[in-house]
Amino acid sequence: MVVKPGSVPDFEALRELFKHHIESFDHMVDAGLDTAIRHIKAVECRQAKISYTGKLTIDVCFQYNDGPVIRETLNFGQFPIMLQSKLCNLRGADPKKLVSYKEEASEMGGYFVLNGLERVIRLLIMPKRNYPTSMVRNSFSERREGYTDKAVVIRCVRADQSSLSIRLYYLRNGSARLGFWLRGREYLLPVGIVLKALIKTSDREIYVKLTSCYNEKYAKGKGVVGTQLVGERAKIILDELRDLSLFTQDQCLEYIGEHFQPIMPELKQASYSIEKLEDWLQKGRRLIMDEIDKKSQKFDISDIAQVKKIMDKNSSKQVSAAVENMLKTGRLVTQTGLDLQQRAGYTVQAERLNFLRFISHFRSVHRGASFAGLRTTTVRKLLPESWGFLCPVHTPDGEPCGLLNHLTRTCRITSFFDSQGKIKDYFKIKKSIEDILKEVGMTPSVPNTPLPGPPEALTVLLDGCVIGCIASSEVEKVVAYIRELKVSSASVIPDDMEVGYVPLSMGGAYPGLYLSTSPSRFVRPVKNISIPSNGNENIELIGPFEQVFMEIRCLDGGDGGRKSSFPATHEEIHPTEMLSVVANLTPWSDHNQSPRNMYQCQMAKQTMAFSSQTIQHRADQKLYHLQTPQTPIVRTSTYSKYNIDEFPTGTNAIVAVLAYTGYDMEDAMILNKSSVERGMFHGQIYQTETIDLTEQSRKSDQSSRMFRKSNVEKSAHPSIDSDGLPHVGQMIRPDEPYCSIYNEVTSSTHTFKRKGSEAVYVDYVAVDVKNSKQLQKVNIRFRHPRNPVIGDKFSSRHGQKGVCSQLWPDVDMPFSGNTGMRPDLIINPHAFPSRMTIAMLLESVAAKGGSLRGEFVDATPFRSSVKKDDEGSDSKSGSLVDDLGLILKEKGFNYHGLEVLYSGVYGTELTCEIFIGPVYYQRLRHMVSDKFQVRSTGTIDQVTRQPIKGRKRGGGIRFGEMERDSLLAHGAAYLLHDRLHTCSDYHIADVCSLCGSMLTTTFIEPQKRPVRQIGGLPPGRTAKKVTCHACQTSRGMETVAMPYVFRYLAAELAAMNIKMTLKLTDGAEVGA
Amino acid sequence: MDPQPEPVSYICGDCGMENTLKPGDVIQCRECGYRILYKKRTRRSKLQFR
Repeated sequence: MVVKPGSVPDFEALRELFKHHIESFDHMVDAGLDTAIRHIKAVECRQAKISYTGKLTIDVCFQYNDGPVIRETLNFGQFPIMLQSKLCNLRGADPKKLVSYKEEASEMGGYFVLNGLERVIRLLIMPKRNYPTSMVRNSFSERREGYTDKAVVIRCVRADQSSLSIRLYYLRNGSARLGFWLRGREYLLPVGIVLKALIKTSDREIYVKLTSCYNEKYAKGKGVVGTQLVGERAKIILDELRDLSLFTQDQCLEYIGEHFQPIMPELKQASYSIEKLEDWLQKGRRLIMDEIDKKSQKFDISDIAQVKKIMDKNSSKQVSAAVENMLKTGRLVTQTGLDLQQRAGYTVQAERLNFLRFISHFRSVHRGASFAGLRTTTVRKLLPESWGFLCPVHTPDGEPCGLLNHLTRTCRITSFFDSQGKIKDYFKIKKSIEDILKEVGMTPSVPNTPLPGPPEALTVLLDGCVIGCIASSEVEKVVAYIRELKVSSASVIPDDMEVGYVPLSMGGAYPGLYLSTSPSRFVRPVKNISIPSNGNENIELIGPFEQVFMEIRCLDGGDGGRKSSFPATHEEIHPTEMLSVVANLTPWSDHNQSPRNMYQCQMAKQTMAFSSQTIQHRADQKLYHLQTPQTPIVRTSTYSKYNIDEFPTGTNAIVAVLAYTGYDMEDAMILNKSSVERGMFHGQIYQTETIDLTEQSRKSDQSSRMFRKSNVEKSAHPSIDSDGLPHVGQMIRPDEPYCSIYNEVTSSTHTFKRKGSEAVYVDYVAVDVKNSKQLQKVNIRFRHPRNPVIGDKFSSRHGQKGVCSQLWPDVDMPFSGNTGMRPDLIINPHAFPSRMTIAMLLESVAAKGGSLRGEFVDATPFRSSVKKDDEGSDSKSGSLVDDLGLILKEKGFNYHGLEVLYSGVYGTELTCEIFIGPVYYQRLRHMVSDKFQVRSTGTIDQVTRQPIKGRKRGGGIRFGEMERDSLLAHGAAYLLHDRLHTCSDYHIADVCSLCGSMLTTTFIEPQKRPVRQIGGLPPGRTAKKVTCHACQTSRGMETVAMPYVFRYLAAELAAMNIKMTLKLTDGAEVGA
Repeated sequence: MDPQPEPVSYICGDCGMENTLKPGDVIQCRECGYRILYKKRTRRSKLQFR
């Protein structure tokens, strides 16, 4: 289980998780892009905040009137390169080489480095390609008069991965319209025209073909799809054509031509006059992978020189720039729309907060931005299709719940590469599949001859094309045979082909045999138990479409909820395969209440962990790092499989479950002060500041600024070295300058000061020239020490989070009667009953036993389900609790994990035995030091003179209406006055009691300077010196305390010609 | 006019060679020509009791 020191760990399993990203990029490269790598290391890009790119060259071929082809290689600029892809110089490097390249030994790649940031392409769910889906939407009936809310949609994907959605609208009169989008407009055609225009045929043939799915023999049986209405509808469609007097193919083509004439020149113009590269970013494989860029150029000029000149004019570099921009922003800029639902959100930054978060970026799938706004919850629900492909546990709760999913551990995505990494030959595959099907009794389809319909025979479709039909009695045998061929390594049938057999049913899905070999589909391995197994021979890859109609047995031995026996043909390999990588790491997650496992998936991704093994080479904006991580004693098999030990995320803390001091109420927890001082949960944040002089002074003085210390105030800033940069390893306090820039033109210096409220240390200072001779760019990394303090957040691996409420002295902690051990951490027993995280209790007992035996404990969930196969291999009783309890008993401990504890304060025995044992605890990244907000006096708003908001600016927290209400309810009027007035915009205004105005008062120039106001205290009466401008006297002047906003209100009202008059009384009269 | 500023030590990011540079010098490792240099860690005592 544990990798021996010195041996090279095998990261293959881990690599597998990232494969789809890399394969996608590799395919793009194969599909016609020729990119030469610049020899630059990825680390340098991250350090220097530049992009990892290569020179893109494209061979443009010219051919004139059957003349010889002229090839010209053109430079298309710097094209971003995915790490570990074919073009990356890290490809195929062993861990040793990767380390020498200053990369992680387990670097998996699959992302781009752009401006020093790591960005991943997001996986998106798309409608299944080349498969017609019927839809009911109210918006369809609003489209035009006579349309119903029903339509059939098919997303057609061409061989170059570009796609077009075609809709067939059903009309109220029984006819149908074919709709497609072109340049942001939808065009609608009567279907009949299209049917006729495609092939030379007669009305009769069309009628027979359309009605072939209905056979009068089977009136209402299983699998009947049509009624006699089909014939009527077909007639309507043909009648429509007759009304338009279109009888032949030529007439139809002419008709289409006529109607599309107006947009034809538009299309032509687009390609001729602009003559820029049409950068068609074609995204979209069915479920996912962002794909490919196709450039199409059209020239009508016959002189090469001229063509080249024009091409030079239209800078070819913009192609790469467009791609880079798309990756940087995740935004797609196209005119055509590319048949995609959304414009933005195609890439995300791969944060390296911890390894699990990083991995999750590569395994997450989004449902599409258009679904996020939907009110209905239907799109968020778990479907039988997604079982085993999308993790039911690993999805955020709240807004994106069910829309942002994660792939399961074993889920893969088909690509252009087969399992050996060779490019698939789709033409050959298609041919051989057809041949095999013909052998086993498929009637191949021939144009103009109708095929029999469903109850009698099933249509066979290969990637959306009808290739024939098979008698329904034969189909099951054929399917079994194809599956057998699929699994066997010798056959030409690809192992990831989806055999979507939809059986005959009463009103179910349209029966047929839907074969798909296309890339970008989900597949997952299951055992095919109808094939005799020897080794891994019977592992079959299945897709989401077919699995709904398959009989796959789960390992729990259940009957799938049916009364008859389970006619299973397939079997799950292991129950944990339905969970994502992160969800798999929760020990015994099958013993937890389900939402707790979801919370753990959330929290695992915000844990402060061992961030990186190349930490000294990284220049991330912010990097959280745990100083003293440990490997968990209790772990799942997945933990070792994916080498999570390379980046451990927590500490085995001795946890006692008791109510000890009262400081552990409401999910607070007490940490042992001495444990913390020994290094438990110690951590730091690395924060990098980049100062780039070229960026700041682009407009005027190019090279006049440099890093230099001011000569004038040499001793003023001891923190700045003579080169204008801070000393490495030095502490810098808040508001202390750390960097100084000298401007040669104005001969002035400018210093950068630390913001924030905590002292930091200079971790490193990296200087970089950025292509000029002078020092222009500096990366300064600061280290914020972040050892646990009161208010920091911690969590176990079972969704049990808590906040540190005390760092309790070791001597006052309770201690065990047997071992004398003091716990590292105390949590309250009330954390368990309502949350039912039994696995946490199991973990505690198991880890105690494991540490006594000196062994890691396997905590793979669903142990009881898997056990059935190999009966009683290692356990005596079979019950998990018993297994764990007996180990403790063997070692002389209490069976249930309880221990006698003595009070640390009184030295007396605690009245009950306490549950104590090691639990793996994670430190979450939310820390008080980043969050606390405190203010007494400080900055105020210029207009209202009220305190400003915002933590960064030293503002306050709003004491709002509801808070006011609560104080009112308590009758705490004096406090309320203090909060809302004295501590806010207390103001003493001069009011003229004669005219009641507070705006007409003016100061008479004082003889001597009046005593200045001190703080918020009212000064001595200055009424004598104030006069009312309107009454021309100072007789009636009074001072009134009021909020300053009131004065502001008066001024605002005066601006609107509204006079505000104050009636001053003594107050005694009102109060009575 | 200005007193000559004291030179500062840098360590090459590639070969680890120590480079001592004055302001205005070309930022490049003398040994391998690498262009990212790291500043050397300072002795603390130099600063603290001043």
